Amino acid sequence: MSASSVRLTVNGAPSPLAEVPHDERLLDSLRWRLGLKGTKEGCRTGNCGACTVLVDGASTLSCLTLTHEVEGAAVTTVEGVADDPVGARVRAAFADAGALQCGYCTPGFLVALTGLLREEGRAAPVEELLEELASNLCRCTGYSAIARAVKDARERLP
Amino acid sequence: MSAVRRPDADLKLAGQATYGTDLDAPGMLWAALVLAPGPRGRLRSVDLSAARALPGVVAVGASDVPALAGRGERDAERPLFADAQVVYPNQPLAAVAAPTLERARAAVRAVRVDLAAEPAVTDLEAIFPEWPGSGAASSPHVAAHVHARRGDVDAAFGSADRVVRETYRTASVHQVALEPHACLAEADGTTWRVRTSTQSPFGVREDLSSLLGVPESSIVVDGTWVGGGFGGKGASFLEPYALLLARASGRPVKLALTYREEFLLGRTTLPSVIRLDTAVAGGRIAARRVRLLLDVGTSLPGRDFATGYSIGFLLGPYQTPAFEVEGYAVRTNKPAFGPHRAPFAPQCAFALESHLEEVAHQVGADPGQFRADHLWVEGGTTAMGQPVAGFGIPAALAQARATAARWRAEAPAGHGVGIGLGFWSTGAGAGGETRVVLSERGLTILEGEREIGSGSVVVGLAAVAAERTGLPRERVHVEYGDTARAPFDSGVYGSRTVAALGGAVDEACRSLLATLAQRLGATVPVRLEVDAEQLVAVAGSSHRPVSELLTPEELRAGGLSADGKHYGRSGAIDESIVLDGTFYAFTDFSGAVHVAEVAVDVETGGVTVVRYAAFQDVGRTVDRASAHAQVEGAVVMGLGTALTEEAIWRDDGRLANPGLLDYRIPTLTEVPPIEVTFVEGYPGAGPSGAKGIGEPPIIPVPATIAAAVRAASGAHVTDLPLTGERVARALKRG
Amino acid sequence: MSAFELIVPATAEEAVAALRAAAGDGVAALAGGTDLLLDLEDGRVTARRVVSLRRLPWRTLDWNGPTLTIGSTLPLRRLELDPEVRAGFPGLYDAVRAVGGPALRHRATVGGNLGRSAPASDLVPVLLTLDAEVELIGAHGSRGVALDRFLVGSRRTTLAAGELIRAVRLPERRPSAYLWQRVRPSNDISQIAVATAYSPTRRTWHVAIGGVAPRPVLVPEAAGALGGGRPTDDAVRRAREAVRRHAPVTADKRGSEEYRRHLAGVLLDRAVATTLARFA
Repeated sequence: MSASSVRLTVNGAPSPLAEVPHDERLLDSLRWRLGLKGTKEGCRTGNCGACTVLVDGASTLSCLTLTHEVEGAAVTTVEGVADDPVGARVRAAFADAGALQCGYCTPGFLVALTGLLREEGRAAPVEELLEELASNLCRCTGYSAIARAVKDARERLP
Repeated sequence: MSAVRRPDADLKLAGQATYGTDLDAPGMLWAALVLAPGPRGRLRSVDLSAARALPGVVAVGASDVPALAGRGERDAERPLFADAQVVYPNQPLAAVAAPTLERARAAVRAVRVDLAAEPAVTDLEAIFPEWPGSGAASSPHVAAHVHARRGDVDAAFGSADRVVRETYRTASVHQVALEPHACLAEADGTTWRVRTSTQSPFGVREDLSSLLGVPESSIVVDGTWVGGGFGGKGASFLEPYALLLARASGRPVKLALTYREEFLLGRTTLPSVIRLDTAVAGGRIAARRVRLLLDVGTSLPGRDFATGYSIGFLLGPYQTPAFEVEGYAVRTNKPAFGPHRAPFAPQCAFALESHLEEVAHQVGADPGQFRADHLWVEGGTTAMGQPVAGFGIPAALAQARATAARWRAEAPAGHGVGIGLGFWSTGAGAGGETRVVLSERGLTILEGEREIGSGSVVVGLAAVAAERTGLPRERVHVEYGDTARAPFDSGVYGSRTVAALGGAVDEACRSLLATLAQRLGATVPVRLEVDAEQLVAVAGSSHRPVSELLTPEELRAGGLSADGKHYGRSGAIDESIVLDGTFYAFTDFSGAVHVAEVAVDVETGGVTVVRYAAFQDVGRTVDRASAHAQVEGAVVMGLGTALTEEAIWRDDGRLANPGLLDYRIPTLTEVPPIEVTFVEGYPGAGPSGAKGIGEPPIIPVPATIAAAVRAASGAHVTDLPLTGERVARALKRG
Repeated sequence: MSAFELIVPATAEEAVAALRAAAGDGVAALAGGTDLLLDLEDGRVTARRVVSLRRLPWRTLDWNGPTLTIGSTLPLRRLELDPEVRAGFPGLYDAVRAVGGPALRHRATVGGNLGRSAPASDLVPVLLTLDAEVELIGAHGSRGVALDRFLVGSRRTTLAAGELIRAVRLPERRPSAYLWQRVRPSNDISQIAVATAYSPTRRTWHVAIGGVAPRPVLVPEAAGALGGGRPTDDAVRRAREAVRRHAPVTADKRGSEEYRRHLAGVLLDRAVATTLARFA
């Protein structure tokens, strides 16, 4: 039947999944098996970034990732991102800048920026961070507040 | 900007807000739509038997929809499923549901469709290669025709110093709310219940009543958090399919569109051709001819509105002694035209403002001064004969011109600065009701409307109530109810939430304060205060805790309630000028004037927006932070319309770019610094003179960018969007 | 029920064997999956079995003197963040940055990009100008093939059934550049792209264009016009004309043929200037 179990650690908790079809996307496993619906389904073609999660710390499009391909990995979703010190700063920066409206792209931005700042720290200039976030789409804010939040989150890094 | 946090921020930042796509229920089935395999043709059969034979699958088609008898044209023109004819590509033919989405998709593949395909008609200019002549109004391609004339237009053109004739073309643009449409339906035989991501729960209820042939009293619509609307989530869409499947299966049914389907089925702005002729005499506009061909796809509810309203924006807020306007709503084999943030107004402003720039250039006038010289004046009348009141655009234009002059002086070679103006009338005409409840802890606004992101519900309505009662914002909160519980309102659209529904909240709060005044025996106005954590009613020198002013019954019921209504504001045009069709009056006079500085790469035609300034007539700002955020968001959405967004319909009726890679909304890297200025003091229909703010700031954007591109490079581009290729071509033409 | 069976071999031999065993049945090799999964979902690729390469020890970056060998399953993001790669192959860095965003590049791989042979590949034009060699591994051992020969057309390569891309080898560091024109500057498919590189040892220019069907190609006429060394203004003008004339450009929804030919010339000019600015 091409379904088998997968071991994941999700937001710090061991999350064994049973009978996962081989073609199942990480996005669907998170949302419908684990009930972690903070990870949003947007385009499902890798063009909007709403489904971004961290896999072993690296930002990843969960719509273009097979669950079986991340066997054994540590996955962080928006529900767990603020447990990370960098993620907590990112979330605070978004809150303070008012960098959200409908909120549908917000989890993807929070996770993606957390991943970037964990990966690059302050080494990356703000312009580069903004360029790297260009693959996360937002239709409400016009990005201005998001850009302010990115700058602020980088400043807040320890 | 104020540091007040949106009340919904923490929930959304934690990933805990439930949107339509997140809905589920125990025992739920997943649904999918069966879409027509061709853009147009005679439908010989849709055979659901093989799909129905699959385990756990239910399917509904045209024969399962209650007969249309006795219902209006509005419903006849938008059947849930194609019956005899397919009239647009991917038109739904049937809907299926199964225990998993994968099995639902397998069931879709098992449906056998026999379609005698016919060639699609998608191109306006293929239908009317020449401008439609007399008699065209009765063509089967014409869904609506509007025509009006004032003054002796022919004479004015005959005696003009100069006549400028131009043709503009605009592209189809999509709302691109990031959350696809989604809903969850349950039907137990007596009640039809649906949770859905919508801008209008009551509008959906009304549609469902009509489409399903059941009374509104047996339908309950409950909203969710909405992942962006922009007009795309106004009317019912997926709800009737999900409800029919829920009734057929006896199970809850979830239906969500894929993003591809969002593009294929979305009801949004379609292409247009706009012809503008202007006669100038003595340096002033003597007369104008405005002609519009608007693609309305497979037609739409209220199609008169699309042309009869848009025409007003092609005349614009300018004095026009004589004019003739004529518009055709043209049917094509596309999904129906639908609202998209300030429907079709950015396209109208692009054509009109670019044309006025051209006229000013030709007569040797400064484009900013030329506009200022022709604007309506407060207390005067519009071109169509409506009194002008609360008109802040002249003040906005004056400020914008000052900024433009400064930027021009600073701009390096290769840069250009342009101005664009957008007039708008907010949807203050649509009615609504509300209920507020005062407890000893605070004030609750009971709402059927859900927050779509703009902040108009969670921030705007609460701000109105706080302002009226004197309570701090954190003591006012919005409680959501379904349509069985919450008072009626017509929806979160048309920039009307604060302007119209806010009026109802304001009235409810006044009524509440009046009751308190009576109980206090006060003769001066009552305000509410928080004193040592206690809510206190204060009138002059008398004050009492709210808890003492409420009766025991009220305390048991949760508080003292008061209702408020808003019946809208209406206006009238001079009907004597109308020759055919329906024209619409403005309910409010709002708008914005924008300034852009751009750099044009003259070799590639590529446009970079360097900086941007928006001056908006808001009447009065209710909440500065959300108003500011609305302007930033709308400007960037407008940059998409201006520069990159275009749904490309092929000649065979197919959409060439149904996805977010090829349908290009702006990204983080294309956004310039945006300065926002609110022009106040020109009151509108809302509480204490507030006007709607969400739509006006998208309107001037394409016009402003086009003017700046022209200033930077000399390219006069007459088609939207201004892609590098179009700019390069215009540069080559010279 | 899954549309395919996922097989996760631990060694190259097992992977090759798995591919061969399923060859008649419809099989695909999965690296990052950022392209393949879309095609599987939409039915453009049908595979009953998918062979995952994730356990193979190919996420490597090896220098041997001036030669860089990039393991085929190395995520693009690793390539991008490597300072030596950026310094030695600046055009490759430009091109990698043009592929999606970091979340995509954390999974997308060089091997996947080449094996999938997309007409719009951002990596191929640069790799062509760097004289990339593709190292293949199959049942009968390894073979090396020049990238230009490896690619046949849109979604077509000379990869034999049961063969895998093991690595990509770049013979020497080269000043290089990659420029593109898009309707939307970021996150879009290029209307046209131009890569240029200069070989300091061979004193030759290399020019390739992308965003053209069926696959990115070298334009030797343009490279030849640039001569050997720092080109004169006149040489650049001739190269610009050559690329405009010889680029196999056609019209599609992203632009007309005329505009894209024009862009090819403009971008060549700029890519040469950028490359020159990167001369040591």
